Amino acid sequence: MTISSAPDQALVLAAIEQVWGSMLFASAEAWPAERAADFGSGVQAHIELRGDWNGRLVLTCDSDVATQIAGAMLGLGPDEELPELDVHDAVGEVLNVVGGSVKGALIGTWALGLPDVSETSEAPSRDDSFVVSWGDAPVYVQILPDAA
Amino acid sequence: MRALIVDDSRAMRRIVGRILGDAGFEVLEAGDGQQALDLLEGLDGPPELACVDWNMPVMDGLTFITEVRNRPQWRAITLMMVTTESESDRIVRALAAGAHEYLIKPFTGEAMLEKLDLLGLLPTSTGV
Repeated sequence: MTISSAPDQALVLAAIEQVWGSMLFASAEAWPAERAADFGSGVQAHIELRGDWNGRLVLTCDSDVATQIAGAMLGLGPDEELPELDVHDAVGEVLNVVGGSVKGALIGTWALGLPDVSETSEAPSRDDSFVVSWGDAPVYVQILPDAA
Repeated sequence: MRALIVDDSRAMRRIVGRILGDAGFEVLEAGDGQQALDLLEGLDGPPELACVDWNMPVMDGLTFITEVRNRPQWRAITLMMVTTESESDRIVRALAAGAHEYLIKPFTGEAMLEKLDLLGLLPTSTGV
């Protein structure tokens, strides 16, 4: 499927479902709007998308979730630990692949930036994000246009 | 056989390295195209295979492939682009620059091994 407009939630969700399944061997489902999405401190990955629409995709999750995602990606056992740098790198690469899948579904010429990952202590507002599941935990996803 | 993995993601280098290591390759790693060129310059002989990401800081994978193809001493390296870039024009550009194969992320280990088999780079390969 290809579309000519800015990436929408359904397209990004489809990319996440594909990446969760193929890279992380897990399923992703939309988080019910009425369900609380608790969040402590965590990591936030950004990647820019440039083309007919300019903005960025942002993925935010709890630190424990980030560690689990990195472990799933690398096939680690439950007792194997990763340095924080490697956890950030893995989450950034997951978003990079999601961004690539989204870009590939858009009509026209688009460019994807390099992922950037930082720590955060605040969950995004539910008003400008949607939430997908990682097991029983929330992962926030934002599609943010450049500021006017 | 030796394989060079060129990717700015340590996680992706680890995943590809595990697949190639299990297939019998001695694995070398570089975090961008320039690092990879520097590494190649220091080797006593070129690796049989290089798996190259497209989007990297410092030097991207397309530039790296072009640089490798411009140097006769590295002509024997088989180049496989491993990238999120899935558009057909990107694939054409990579192949025109000298890539032998193209693998789109996300991929499975089986998909990478199939490519290597087609390239005749597995111990059991019959090649094409």
